[in-house]
Amino acid sequence: MNHAESPIGNKIKMVLVACTLILFAAGARAATTLENMQAAYNGESNAHARYLAFAGKADSEGYGQVASLFRAAARAEEIHAGNHAAVIRKMGATPAAKIEAPVVKSTRENLEAAIKGETYERDHMYPDFLSQARKDHNLAAIKSLNFAKTAEAEHAKLYSAALTQLDHLKGSQAGTYFVCPKCGFTTQELSFAKCPSCFTPKEKFEKIS
Amino acid sequence: MMHLPPIPAWESLHPLVIHFPIVLLLLSPLFLLIGAALSPAKGLPYRYAGLLILLLGTVSLFVAAATGEAAGELAERGGGVDAVLTAHENLASETRLLFVGLSVILLGMIALPRILHRQETRLSSTFMPLAYLVFYSVGILYLVNTAHAGGRLVHEFGVHAEMPASDGATSATATEAQEPAESRTD
Ligand SMILES: [Fe+2]
Ligand SMILES: [Fe+2]
Repeated sequence: MNHAESPIGNKIKMVLVACTLILFAAGARAATTLENMQAAYNGESNAHARYLAFAGKADSEGYGQVASLFRAAARAEEIHAGNHAAVIRKMGATPAAKIEAPVVKSTRENLEAAIKGETYERDHMYPDFLSQARKDHNLAAIKSLNFAKTAEAEHAKLYSAALTQLDHLKGSQAGTYFVCPKCGFTTQELSFAKCPSCFTPKEKFEKIS
Repeated sequence: MMHLPPIPAWESLHPLVIHFPIVLLLLSPLFLLIGAALSPAKGLPYRYAGLLILLLGTVSLFVAAATGEAAGELAERGGGVDAVLTAHENLASETRLLFVGLSVILLGMIALPRILHRQETRLSSTFMPLAYLVFYSVGILYLVNTAHAGGRLVHEFGVHAEMPASDGATSATATEAQEPAESRTD
């Protein structure tokens, strides 16, 4: 049977909806640049630990070249974490990271996980954080986030290339990669005079194998 | 009441300083040309002025390049921006080197007769400056190409310096081309 609802019931419903909306609006507020920097610092610190673990696995499975790539990327993530930490300190806070035990699978799966992570950072996380930092006119944050975003894009490319050629890389020796000490830009060939991201002379790049 | 605008951060200075080398280095040869057309004695002040403007222009090139690199660190990469930014950076380095060379040559051309206590002749006051201007035109070619690459970054790719916020904070950013391009400068 269909019956009309009482006016008091309707009012209670309206109040509940209004309260929910207010709570949702408060919860959905944009993260501040400081919160974003902490999240980025946490992400990069964990990526550093994860890639070192992946490098060990690649070595044990006989993918020497892939192990070198993971070590180079790990170094880059360490540089990003250091840059982010400096910005956090400049903003008057203390960098805090919760390092989780890396989940290590086969090298193929590790590469797939790495590509997923780098692609997310390149396409979503860093663009969103950069957008907020720009709104806040925080130059130091923009610089640090931009350096990381550019390097993650290179990492995604390098990981994708390694995954495509993985069968051929079985039994490979350690390879050589170059990492910019300022921005973490990672490359196999120093085909430029200055870092494309931060203009550091190529002579200063760190050689990782 | 009218106030002075806030002092921009180092990363935001590029659009402000970049016009100094362009104007100064294009102005210097005009003074040399006037000096070459006049008699050795009457042309001397113009050659001095040309040299001074060239030296100022070359110094401002260094400031422009340094602020350009600082601004470039904030520019978002990817797509066509990368190639143009690299070209702009490389051309700027080459232009800087060329004008250092041109400054040393002109300084030598003007200072040597004085150091050696030699009388200015038509050779030193007209023909050598004219020959020098032929070399100078190579510098201008590099200068305008550097400026053109910078102009493409701004007007084609929307890379622009963000002027100070109302609270006095400053920043230089590079954003996507579709974003509003207020305060655009090259
Ligand atoms: Fe990363
Ligand atoms: Fe770099």
